[in-house]
Amino acid sequence: MSLKILFLDELKGFYKSKVMIILWVGMPLLSLLFHYIFPETEGIPISSIVALLFSSIGGMLASAMLSTSIASEKVRHVYDLFLIRPVRRANILLAKFFAVYLCLIIATGISLVIGLIIDQLTIGNLPEYVIDQTIESLSISLAGIAIACSLGIFFGTIVTSVPVAAILSVYLGNQLSAISILPPLFIDFIDPILFSLLIGSIIPTIIITISIMIFARKQF
Amino acid sequence: MNRQNSSGNNKALIEFQTVSKSYKKTLALDKISFTINKGDVFGYIGPNGAGKTTTIKILVGLIRDYTGDVYIAGKNISKSFQEIYKILGYHPQEAGFQRWRTINHALNTFGRLSGLESNHLESKIREVLEFVNLQDVRYKKIIHLSGGMIQKLRLAQALLNDPQILVLDEPLSGLDPSSRYQIKNLIKNLSQKGITILFSSHILTDIQDIANKIGILNKSRIIKIGSPDELQNEFNIGNIIEIVYIKGGNSCPNLEDIDGIERIEIGASNKQFAHLKGDADIDDTIHRILRIITEQKCKMRNFRILTPSLEEVYLKYIEGDAK
Repeated sequence: MSLKILFLDELKGFYKSKVMIILWVGMPLLSLLFHYIFPETEGIPISSIVALLFSSIGGMLASAMLSTSIASEKVRHVYDLFLIRPVRRANILLAKFFAVYLCLIIATGISLVIGLIIDQLTIGNLPEYVIDQTIESLSISLAGIAIACSLGIFFGTIVTSVPVAAILSVYLGNQLSAISILPPLFIDFIDPILFSLLIGSIIPTIIITISIMIFARKQF
Repeated sequence: MNRQNSSGNNKALIEFQTVSKSYKKTLALDKISFTINKGDVFGYIGPNGAGKTTTIKILVGLIRDYTGDVYIAGKNISKSFQEIYKILGYHPQEAGFQRWRTINHALNTFGRLSGLESNHLESKIREVLEFVNLQDVRYKKIIHLSGGMIQKLRLAQALLNDPQILVLDEPLSGLDPSSRYQIKNLIKNLSQKGITILFSSHILTDIQDIANKIGILNKSRIIKIGSPDELQNEFNIGNIIEIVYIKGGNSCPNLEDIDGIERIEIGASNKQFAHLKGDADIDDTIHRILRIITEQKCKMRNFRILTPSLEEVYLKYIEGDAK
Protein backbone atom coordinates (compact mmCIF):
# COMPACT_ATOMS: atom_id res chain seq x y z
CA MET A 1 0.00 0.00 0.00
CA SER A 2 2.71 2.45 0.98
CA LEU A 3 4.63 1.66 -2.24
CA LYS A 4 1.67 2.73 -4.37
CA ILE A 5 1.18 5.95 -2.36
CA LEU A 6 4.88 6.77 -2.50
CA PHE A 7 5.17 5.94 -6.21
CA LEU A 8 2.21 8.14 -7.17
CA ASP A 9 3.57 10.82 -4.88
CA GLU A 10 6.95 10.75 -6.60
CA LEU A 11 5.29 11.08 -9.99
CA LYS A 12 3.28 14.01 -8.70
CA GLY A 13 6.51 15.50 -7.41
CA PHE A 14 8.12 15.22 -10.84
CA TYR A 15 5.05 16.82 -12.38
CA LYS A 16 4.89 19.66 -9.83
CA SER A 17 8.60 20.36 -9.93
CA LYS A 18 8.52 20.46 -13.77
CA VAL A 19 10.97 17.55 -14.09
CA MET A 20 8.40 15.58 -16.04
CA ILE A 21 7.77 18.41 -18.50
CA ILE A 22 11.48 18.93 -19.06
CA LEU A 23 11.94 15.22 -19.74
CA TRP A 24 8.90 14.71 -21.91
CA VAL A 25 9.30 17.88 -23.96
CA GLY A 26 13.00 18.58 -23.59
CA MET A 27 14.33 15.17 -24.54
CA PRO A 28 12.32 14.78 -27.78
CA LEU A 29 13.26 18.37 -28.70
CA LEU A 30 16.89 17.63 -28.03
CA SER A 31 16.71 14.60 -30.30
CA LEU A 32 15.21 16.67 -33.08
CA LEU A 33 17.75 19.47 -32.65
CA PHE A 34 20.58 16.95 -32.62
CA HIS A 35 19.36 15.52 -35.88
CA TYR A 36 19.02 18.85 -37.66
CA ILE A 37 22.01 20.74 -36.23
CA PHE A 38 24.76 18.17 -36.78
CA PRO A 39 25.22 17.45 -40.50
CA GLU A 40 27.06 14.17 -39.88
CA THR A 41 23.84 12.66 -38.62
CA GLU A 42 22.12 13.35 -41.90
CA GLY A 43 20.91 10.19 -43.45
CA ILE A 44 20.76 8.32 -40.15
CA PRO A 45 17.16 7.69 -39.17
CA ILE A 46 16.11 10.00 -36.37
CA SER A 47 14.61 7.05 -34.48
CA SER A 48 18.11 5.57 -34.20
CA ILE A 49 19.52 8.87 -33.02
CA VAL A 50 16.85 9.08 -30.33
CA ALA A 51 17.73 5.63 -29.06
CA LEU A 52 21.44 6.49 -29.00
CA LEU A 53 20.84 9.81 -27.34
CA PHE A 54 18.75 8.26 -24.62
CA SER A 55 21.26 5.58 -23.88
CA SER A 56 23.88 8.27 -23.22
CA ILE A 57 22.00 11.26 -21.77
CA GLY A 58 19.05 9.38 -20.28
CA GLY A 59 21.23 7.20 -18.06
CA MET A 60 23.18 10.15 -16.74
CA LEU A 61 20.00 12.11 -16.10
CA ALA A 62 18.35 9.23 -14.28
CA SER A 63 21.35 8.55 -12.11
CA ALA A 64 21.87 12.22 -11.22
CA MET A 65 18.17 12.82 -10.53
CA LEU A 66 17.94 9.92 -8.15
CA SER A 67 21.23 10.29 -6.33
CA THR A 68 20.88 14.04 -5.70
CA SER A 69 17.25 13.72 -4.71
CA ILE A 70 17.94 10.96 -2.16
CA ALA A 71 21.09 12.61 -0.79
CA SER A 72 19.42 15.99 -0.34
CA GLU A 73 16.30 14.49 1.22
CA LYS A 74 18.46 12.56 3.67
CA VAL A 75 20.36 15.72 4.61
CA ARG A 76 17.13 17.67 5.11
CA HIS A 77 15.64 14.82 7.19
CA VAL A 78 12.70 14.51 4.80
CA TYR A 79 12.48 10.76 5.43
CA ASP A 80 12.00 11.18 9.19
CA LEU A 81 8.35 12.01 8.63
CA PHE A 82 7.85 8.97 6.40
CA LEU A 83 9.66 6.52 8.63
CA ILE A 84 7.63 7.32 11.73
CA ARG A 85 4.67 5.89 9.87
CA PRO A 86 4.04 2.31 8.78
CA VAL A 87 6.23 2.69 5.71
CA ARG A 88 8.79 0.09 4.70
CA ARG A 89 12.14 1.73 4.11
CA ALA A 90 12.60 -0.32 0.93
CA ASN A 91 9.44 1.22 -0.52
CA ILE A 92 10.89 4.73 -0.38
CA LEU A 93 13.74 3.68 -2.67
CA LEU A 94 11.62 1.46 -4.92
CA ALA A 95 9.05 4.23 -5.42
CA LYS A 96 11.80 6.61 -6.52
CA PHE A 97 13.34 4.03 -8.86
CA PHE A 98 10.09 3.12 -10.56
CA ALA A 99 8.95 6.75 -10.85
CA VAL A 100 12.15 7.94 -12.52
CA TYR A 101 12.35 4.86 -14.71
CA LEU A 102 8.76 5.24 -15.82
CA CYS A 103 9.28 8.93 -16.61
CA LEU A 104 12.30 8.11 -18.74
CA ILE A 105 10.54 5.24 -20.52
CA ILE A 106 7.70 7.59 -21.42
CA ALA A 107 10.18 10.27 -22.51
CA THR A 108 11.96 7.69 -24.66
CA GLY A 109 8.64 6.50 -26.08
CA ILE A 110 7.52 10.03 -26.98
CA SER A 111 10.87 10.79 -28.61
CA LEU A 112 10.85 7.53 -30.57
CA VAL A 113 7.33 8.00 -31.85
CA ILE A 114 8.18 11.52 -32.99
CA GLY A 115 11.39 10.19 -34.55
CA LEU A 116 9.57 7.42 -36.40
CA ILE A 117 6.95 9.87 -37.69
CA ILE A 118 9.67 12.21 -39.00
CA ASP A 119 11.57 9.27 -40.51
CA GLN A 120 8.39 8.11 -42.20
CA LEU A 121 7.83 11.59 -43.62
CA THR A 122 11.42 12.16 -44.75
CA ILE A 123 12.64 8.68 -45.72
CA GLY A 124 9.34 7.08 -46.58
CA ASN A 125 8.78 3.45 -45.68
CA LEU A 126 11.49 2.50 -43.24
CA PRO A 127 13.70 -0.43 -44.22
CA GLU A 128 13.39 -3.43 -41.94
CA TYR A 129 16.98 -3.12 -40.74
CA VAL A 130 16.27 0.40 -39.45
CA ILE A 131 13.35 -0.85 -37.40
CA ASP A 132 15.44 -3.77 -36.08
CA GLN A 133 18.27 -1.41 -35.24
CA THR A 134 15.89 0.95 -33.46
CA ILE A 135 14.39 -1.85 -31.37
CA GLU A 136 17.86 -3.07 -30.52
CA SER A 137 19.03 0.42 -29.54
CA LEU A 138 15.87 0.96 -27.54
CA SER A 139 16.29 -2.23 -25.51
CA ILE A 140 19.93 -1.32 -24.84
CA SER A 141 18.86 2.20 -23.81
CA LEU A 142 16.22 0.97 -21.41
CA ALA A 143 18.64 -1.52 -19.86
CA GLY A 144 21.25 1.23 -19.54
CA ILE A 145 18.72 3.57 -17.94
CA ALA A 146 17.64 0.84 -15.49
CA ILE A 147 21.27 0.28 -14.48
CA ALA A 148 21.85 4.03 -14.19
CA CYS A 149 18.69 4.43 -12.08
CA SER A 150 19.83 1.71 -9.70
CA LEU A 151 23.28 3.29 -9.44
CA GLY A 152 21.61 6.63 -8.70
CA ILE A 153 19.72 4.95 -5.85
CA PHE A 154 22.96 3.41 -4.62
CA PHE A 155 24.99 6.64 -4.70
CA GLY A 156 22.16 8.58 -3.07
CA THR A 157 21.99 5.99 -0.31
CA ILE A 158 25.67 5.87 0.52
CA VAL A 159 26.61 9.56 0.36
CA THR A 160 25.26 12.52 2.29
CA SER A 161 26.66 15.27 0.10
CA VAL A 162 24.54 16.38 -2.84
CA PRO A 163 27.51 17.54 -4.97
CA VAL A 164 29.32 14.23 -4.35
CA ALA A 165 26.17 12.34 -5.34
CA ALA A 166 25.96 14.39 -8.55
CA ILE A 167 29.64 13.87 -9.40
CA LEU A 168 29.46 10.13 -8.80
CA SER A 169 26.37 9.89 -10.97
CA VAL A 170 27.82 11.85 -13.85
CA TYR A 171 31.15 10.03 -13.84
CA LEU A 172 30.22 6.55 -12.76
CA GLY A 173 26.47 6.20 -13.27
CA ASN A 174 26.65 6.91 -16.95
CA GLN A 175 29.86 4.95 -17.56
CA LEU A 176 28.70 1.85 -15.71
CA SER A 177 25.38 1.84 -17.52
CA ALA A 178 27.40 1.18 -20.70
CA ILE A 179 27.64 -2.43 -19.49
CA SER A 180 24.44 -2.97 -21.44
CA ILE A 181 26.09 -1.84 -24.69
CA LEU A 182 29.67 -3.06 -24.72
CA PRO A 183 29.64 -6.90 -24.62
CA PRO A 184 27.43 -7.37 -27.73
CA LEU A 185 29.74 -5.00 -29.65
CA PHE A 186 32.76 -7.20 -29.07
CA ILE A 187 31.27 -10.67 -28.79
CA ASP A 188 29.41 -11.72 -31.93
CA PHE A 189 27.30 -14.54 -30.58
CA ILE A 190 25.64 -12.42 -27.89
CA ASP A 191 22.16 -11.35 -28.89
CA PRO A 192 22.07 -7.63 -27.96
CA ILE A 193 18.34 -7.57 -27.17
CA LEU A 194 18.39 -10.67 -25.00
CA PHE A 195 21.60 -9.56 -23.33
CA SER A 196 20.26 -6.10 -22.53
CA LEU A 197 17.02 -7.54 -21.19
CA LEU A 198 18.96 -9.89 -18.91
CA ILE A 199 21.57 -7.43 -17.80
CA GLY A 200 18.95 -4.68 -17.46
CA SER A 201 17.03 -6.85 -15.00
CA ILE A 202 19.79 -8.59 -13.06
CA ILE A 203 22.19 -5.72 -12.36
CA PRO A 204 19.55 -3.21 -11.17
CA THR A 205 17.99 -5.90 -8.95
CA ILE A 206 21.34 -6.59 -7.29
CA ILE A 207 22.26 -2.93 -6.87
CA ILE A 208 18.83 -1.97 -5.53
CA THR A 209 18.85 -4.89 -3.09
CA ILE A 210 22.24 -3.76 -1.74
CA SER A 211 20.98 -0.16 -1.52
CA ILE A 212 17.87 -1.27 0.36
CA MET A 213 19.99 -3.21 2.84
CA ILE A 214 22.20 -0.17 3.43
CA PHE A 215 19.19 2.16 3.70
CA ALA A 216 17.48 -0.16 6.19
CA ARG A 217 20.48 0.06 8.51
CA LYS A 218 20.78 3.84 8.29
CA GLN A 219 20.23 5.89 11.44
CA PHE A 220 17.96 8.85 10.78
CA MET B 1 2.43 -9.09 24.64
CA ASN B 2 1.56 -6.48 27.27
CA ARG B 3 3.68 -6.27 30.36
CA GLN B 4 3.59 -4.46 33.63
CA ASN B 5 6.34 -1.88 33.93
CA SER B 6 9.23 -2.22 36.33
CA SER B 7 7.79 0.34 38.74
CA GLY B 8 4.62 -1.74 38.93
CA ASN B 9 2.68 1.23 37.63
CA ASN B 10 -0.05 0.30 35.19
CA LYS B 11 -0.48 3.92 34.14
CA ALA B 12 3.02 4.13 32.64
CA LEU B 13 2.67 4.74 28.92
CA ILE B 14 6.35 5.14 28.07
CA GLU B 15 9.17 3.35 29.80
CA PHE B 16 12.90 3.50 29.08
CA GLN B 17 14.96 0.79 30.76
CA THR B 18 18.74 1.23 30.88
CA VAL B 19 18.88 2.47 27.31
CA SER B 20 22.32 3.22 25.88
CA LYS B 21 23.37 4.39 22.46
CA SER B 22 26.77 5.12 20.99
CA TYR B 23 27.77 6.77 17.73
CA LYS B 24 31.04 5.02 16.93
CA LYS B 25 33.14 5.87 20.00
CA THR B 26 30.89 8.65 21.30
CA LEU B 27 28.43 7.69 24.00
CA ALA B 28 25.18 9.53 23.31
CA LEU B 29 23.03 7.88 25.99
CA ASP B 30 24.32 6.11 29.05
CA LYS B 31 21.84 3.65 30.59
CA ILE B 32 18.96 6.06 30.88
CA SER B 33 15.76 4.93 32.59
CA PHE B 34 12.53 6.82 33.13
CA THR B 35 8.79 6.39 32.88
CA ILE B 36 6.09 8.70 31.64
CA ASN B 37 2.55 8.09 32.84
CA LYS B 38 -0.62 8.49 30.85
CA GLY B 39 -1.59 12.16 30.69
CA ASP B 40 1.83 13.41 31.78
CA VAL B 41 3.53 16.33 30.13
CA PHE B 42 7.15 15.35 30.44
CA GLY B 43 9.63 18.15 29.94
CA TYR B 44 12.91 16.71 28.77
CA ILE B 45 15.65 19.26 29.17
CA GLY B 46 19.35 19.38 28.84
CA PRO B 47 22.03 21.36 27.08
CA ASN B 48 22.62 20.99 23.35
CA GLY B 49 24.25 17.66 22.56
CA ALA B 50 23.15 16.05 25.82
CA GLY B 51 21.29 13.26 24.01
CA LYS B 52 17.70 14.51 23.94
CA THR B 53 17.16 14.01 20.21
CA THR B 54 18.79 10.57 20.35
CA THR B 55 16.35 9.55 23.11
CA ILE B 56 13.44 10.82 21.06
CA LYS B 57 14.59 9.16 17.85
CA ILE B 58 14.82 5.85 19.69
CA LEU B 59 11.31 6.37 21.02
CA VAL B 60 9.82 7.04 17.59
CA GLY B 61 11.73 4.23 15.90
CA LEU B 62 14.14 6.25 13.80
CA ILE B 63 17.11 4.81 15.70
CA ARG B 64 16.94 1.06 16.14
CA ASP B 65 20.51 0.30 17.00
CA TYR B 66 20.59 0.72 20.80
CA THR B 67 20.84 -1.40 23.93
CA GLY B 68 18.23 -1.63 26.67
CA ASP B 69 14.46 -1.72 26.32
CA VAL B 70 11.83 0.83 25.46
CA TYR B 71 8.17 0.11 26.09
CA ILE B 72 5.15 2.02 24.88
CA ALA B 73 1.82 1.00 26.38
CA GLY B 74 3.56 -2.09 27.74
CA LYS B 75 4.87 -3.19 24.35
CA ASN B 76 8.52 -3.37 23.46
CA ILE B 77 8.95 -0.97 20.54
CA SER B 78 11.59 -3.08 18.86
CA LYS B 79 9.00 -5.84 18.40
CA SER B 80 5.70 -4.04 17.95
CA PHE B 81 6.33 -0.86 16.05
CA GLN B 82 3.58 -1.51 13.54
CA GLU B 83 1.03 -1.15 16.37
CA ILE B 84 2.83 1.66 18.14
CA TYR B 85 2.88 3.90 15.05
CA LYS B 86 -0.87 4.22 15.40
CA ILE B 87 -0.75 5.91 18.81
CA LEU B 88 2.34 8.04 18.27
CA GLY B 89 2.68 11.55 16.85
CA TYR B 90 6.13 13.03 16.31
CA HIS B 91 7.18 16.62 15.81
CA PRO B 92 10.82 16.42 14.68
CA GLN B 93 13.32 19.12 15.42
CA GLU B 94 14.57 19.58 11.92
CA ALA B 95 12.67 17.39 9.49
CA GLY B 96 12.21 19.03 6.13
CA PHE B 97 9.33 18.78 3.73
CA GLN B 98 9.64 18.31 0.00
CA ARG B 99 9.40 21.88 -1.19
CA TRP B 100 7.22 21.31 -4.21
CA ARG B 101 4.37 20.19 -1.95
CA THR B 102 1.60 22.38 -0.68
CA ILE B 103 0.55 22.08 2.97
CA ASN B 104 -2.56 20.21 1.84
CA HIS B 105 -0.59 17.77 -0.27
CA ALA B 106 1.94 17.06 2.47
CA LEU B 107 -0.79 16.34 5.02
CA ASN B 108 -2.67 14.25 2.49
CA THR B 109 0.35 12.05 1.86
CA PHE B 110 1.22 11.67 5.56
CA GLY B 111 -2.41 10.94 6.37
CA ARG B 112 -2.64 8.19 3.76
CA LEU B 113 0.68 6.73 4.87
CA SER B 114 -0.65 6.70 8.43
CA GLY B 115 -3.53 4.58 7.16
CA LEU B 116 -6.33 7.17 7.32
CA GLU B 117 -9.29 6.48 5.05
CA SER B 118 -9.76 9.11 2.34
CA ASN B 119 -13.29 10.07 3.52
CA HIS B 120 -11.98 10.73 7.03
CA LEU B 121 -8.72 12.30 5.88
CA GLU B 122 -10.27 15.45 4.40
CA SER B 123 -12.07 16.37 7.62
CA LYS B 124 -9.02 15.47 9.68
CA ILE B 125 -6.77 17.75 7.61
CA ARG B 126 -9.27 20.58 8.04
CA GLU B 127 -9.40 19.94 11.78
CA VAL B 128 -5.62 19.94 12.36
CA LEU B 129 -5.12 23.00 10.14
CA GLU B 130 -7.73 24.89 12.12
CA PHE B 131 -6.08 23.79 15.34
CA VAL B 132 -2.68 25.14 14.30
CA ASN B 133 -4.27 28.10 12.51
CA LEU B 134 -2.93 27.30 9.04
CA GLN B 135 -6.28 26.90 7.30
CA ASP B 136 -5.80 30.10 5.29
CA VAL B 137 -2.56 28.89 3.74
CA ARG B 138 -3.69 25.32 3.10
CA TYR B 139 -2.81 25.43 -0.59
CA LYS B 140 0.39 27.41 -0.22
CA LYS B 141 3.63 25.76 -1.30
CA ILE B 142 5.90 24.76 1.56
CA ILE B 143 8.80 26.66 0.02
CA HIS B 144 6.89 29.89 0.70
CA LEU B 145 6.18 29.24 4.40
CA SER B 146 7.83 31.07 7.30
CA GLY B 147 9.74 29.25 10.06
CA GLY B 148 6.77 29.55 12.41
CA MET B 149 4.41 28.09 9.80
CA ILE B 150 6.77 25.17 9.19
CA GLN B 151 6.80 24.42 12.94
CA LYS B 152 3.01 24.51 12.95
CA LEU B 153 2.93 22.19 9.95
CA ARG B 154 5.25 19.79 11.78
CA LEU B 155 2.80 19.84 14.67
CA ALA B 156 -0.18 19.43 12.34
CA GLN B 157 1.25 16.30 10.68
CA ALA B 158 1.92 14.83 14.13
CA LEU B 159 -1.75 15.22 15.05
CA LEU B 160 -3.22 13.59 11.94
CA ASN B 161 -3.68 10.15 13.48
CA ASP B 162 -5.16 11.38 16.81
CA PRO B 163 -2.10 10.26 18.77
CA GLN B 164 -2.26 9.24 22.41
CA ILE B 165 1.41 10.15 22.71
CA LEU B 166 2.93 13.27 21.23
CA VAL B 167 6.69 13.54 21.02
CA LEU B 168 7.89 17.09 20.44
CA ASP B 169 11.57 17.64 19.77
CA GLU B 170 12.49 21.28 20.40
CA PRO B 171 9.22 22.62 18.98
CA LEU B 172 10.04 26.19 20.03
CA SER B 173 13.59 26.43 18.76
CA GLY B 174 14.35 29.15 16.26
CA LEU B 175 10.98 30.85 16.59
CA ASP B 176 10.21 34.51 17.15
CA PRO B 177 8.43 35.43 20.42
CA SER B 178 5.00 35.56 18.82
CA SER B 179 5.34 32.10 17.22
CA ARG B 180 6.76 30.70 20.48
CA TYR B 181 3.73 31.97 22.34
CA GLN B 182 1.35 30.46 19.78
CA ILE B 183 3.03 27.04 19.69
CA LYS B 184 3.24 26.97 23.48
CA ASN B 185 -0.48 27.63 23.72
CA LEU B 186 -1.19 24.87 21.22
CA ILE B 187 0.84 22.44 23.34
CA LYS B 188 -1.06 23.53 26.45
CA ASN B 189 -4.33 22.88 24.63
CA LEU B 190 -3.16 19.42 23.64
CA SER B 191 -2.15 18.57 27.20
CA GLN B 192 -5.59 19.67 28.39
CA LYS B 193 -7.08 17.14 25.97
CA GLY B 194 -5.27 14.41 27.92
CA ILE B 195 -2.59 13.63 25.36
CA THR B 196 0.63 12.35 26.91
CA ILE B 197 3.41 14.67 25.80
CA LEU B 198 7.17 14.35 25.78
CA PHE B 199 8.55 17.78 25.10
CA SER B 200 12.27 18.44 24.74
CA SER B 201 14.03 21.76 25.01
CA HIS B 202 17.34 23.18 26.09
CA ILE B 203 15.53 26.15 27.62
CA LEU B 204 13.79 25.45 30.91
CA THR B 205 11.40 28.38 30.71
CA ASP B 206 9.97 26.78 27.57
CA ILE B 207 8.62 23.88 29.56
CA GLN B 208 8.32 24.92 33.18
CA ASP B 209 4.77 26.21 32.90
CA ILE B 210 3.61 23.27 30.74
CA ALA B 211 5.30 20.19 32.20
CA ASN B 212 4.13 18.35 35.28
CA LYS B 213 7.27 16.22 35.26
CA ILE B 214 10.76 17.22 34.27
CA GLY B 215 13.74 15.08 33.35
CA ILE B 216 17.15 16.71 33.25
CA LEU B 217 19.63 15.12 30.88
CA ASN B 218 23.27 16.04 30.97
CA LYS B 219 26.28 14.39 29.38
CA SER B 220 24.26 11.40 28.15
CA ARG B 221 22.76 10.64 31.58
CA ILE B 222 19.52 11.56 33.28
CA ILE B 223 20.61 13.39 36.38
CA LYS B 224 17.22 14.24 37.84
CA ILE B 225 13.56 13.50 37.34
CA GLY B 226 10.72 15.05 39.30
CA SER B 227 7.89 17.52 39.30
CA PRO B 228 8.85 21.19 38.99
CA ASP B 229 8.08 21.66 42.70
CA GLU B 230 10.11 18.64 43.73
CA LEU B 231 13.10 19.84 41.78
CA GLN B 232 12.79 23.30 43.25
CA ASN B 233 12.36 22.11 46.83
CA GLU B 234 15.01 19.47 46.71
CA PHE B 235 17.65 21.87 45.64
CA ASN B 236 18.50 23.97 48.62
CA ILE B 237 19.06 27.36 47.08
CA GLY B 238 18.54 30.10 49.63
CA ASN B 239 15.67 32.51 49.24
CA ILE B 240 16.28 36.15 48.50
CA ILE B 241 14.45 38.99 50.22
CA GLU B 242 14.01 42.14 48.20
CA ILE B 243 13.64 45.39 50.16
CA VAL B 244 12.70 48.54 48.24
CA TYR B 245 13.31 51.88 49.99
CA ILE B 246 11.62 55.18 49.25
CA LYS B 247 13.22 57.47 46.67
CA GLY B 248 16.31 59.03 48.16
CA GLY B 249 16.14 56.71 51.18
CA ASN B 250 19.25 54.88 52.30
CA SER B 251 19.71 51.15 52.48
CA CYS B 252 19.39 49.81 55.97
CA PRO B 253 22.79 49.04 57.54
CA ASN B 254 23.77 46.05 59.66
CA LEU B 255 21.45 43.56 57.98
CA GLU B 256 24.41 41.36 57.16
CA ASP B 257 24.89 40.78 60.89
CA ILE B 258 21.62 38.90 61.08
CA ASP B 259 22.01 35.19 61.63
CA GLY B 260 20.67 33.43 58.53
CA ILE B 261 21.75 36.05 56.02
CA GLU B 262 24.60 35.03 53.78
CA ARG B 263 25.22 38.39 52.12
CA ILE B 264 23.61 41.70 51.27
CA GLU B 265 23.48 43.01 47.72
CA ILE B 266 22.68 46.61 46.85
CA GLY B 267 20.60 46.84 43.68
CA ALA B 268 19.48 49.66 41.43
CA SER B 269 16.35 51.77 42.09
CA ASN B 270 16.82 51.84 45.89
CA LYS B 271 16.70 48.07 46.19
CA GLN B 272 18.53 45.91 48.64
CA PHE B 273 18.70 42.12 48.38
CA ALA B 274 19.27 39.93 51.41
CA HIS B 275 20.53 36.50 50.26
CA LEU B 276 19.52 33.95 52.88
CA LYS B 277 21.60 30.94 53.74
CA GLY B 278 20.22 27.66 52.37
CA ASP B 279 19.35 26.37 55.85
CA ALA B 280 18.07 29.65 57.23
CA ASP B 281 14.69 29.74 58.96
CA ILE B 282 12.92 32.12 56.62
CA ASP B 283 10.25 33.28 59.08
CA ASP B 284 12.77 33.95 61.82
CA THR B 285 15.09 35.78 59.43
CA ILE B 286 12.28 37.96 58.08
CA HIS B 287 11.27 38.82 61.64
CA ARG B 288 14.83 39.93 62.47
CA ILE B 289 15.14 41.97 59.25
CA LEU B 290 11.89 43.81 59.94
CA ARG B 291 12.94 44.50 63.50
CA ILE B 292 16.20 46.13 62.39
CA ILE B 293 14.40 48.15 59.71
CA THR B 294 11.95 49.41 62.33
CA GLU B 295 14.61 50.09 64.95
CA GLN B 296 16.79 52.03 62.54
CA LYS B 297 13.76 53.83 61.05
CA CYS B 298 14.71 52.88 57.48
CA LYS B 299 12.06 54.21 55.08
CA MET B 300 10.87 51.09 53.28
CA ARG B 301 8.33 51.06 50.44
CA ASN B 302 8.17 47.34 49.59
CA PHE B 303 9.33 44.01 50.96
CA ARG B 304 9.01 40.61 49.26
CA ILE B 305 10.48 37.12 49.13
CA LEU B 306 12.01 35.98 45.83
CA THR B 307 12.02 32.19 45.59
CA PRO B 308 14.73 30.68 43.38
CA SER B 309 13.57 30.09 39.82
CA LEU B 310 13.57 26.65 38.27
CA GLU B 311 16.11 28.02 35.82
CA GLU B 312 18.57 28.46 38.69
CA VAL B 313 17.85 24.94 39.90
CA TYR B 314 18.41 23.60 36.40
CA LEU B 315 21.67 25.46 36.02
CA LYS B 316 22.86 24.19 39.39
CA TYR B 317 22.15 20.62 38.29
CA ILE B 318 23.87 21.07 34.97
CA GLU B 319 26.88 22.64 36.61
CA GLY B 320 27.11 19.59 38.84
CA ASP B 321 26.27 21.49 41.99
CA ALA B 322 23.36 19.25 42.91
CA LYS B 323 23.36 17.82 46.36
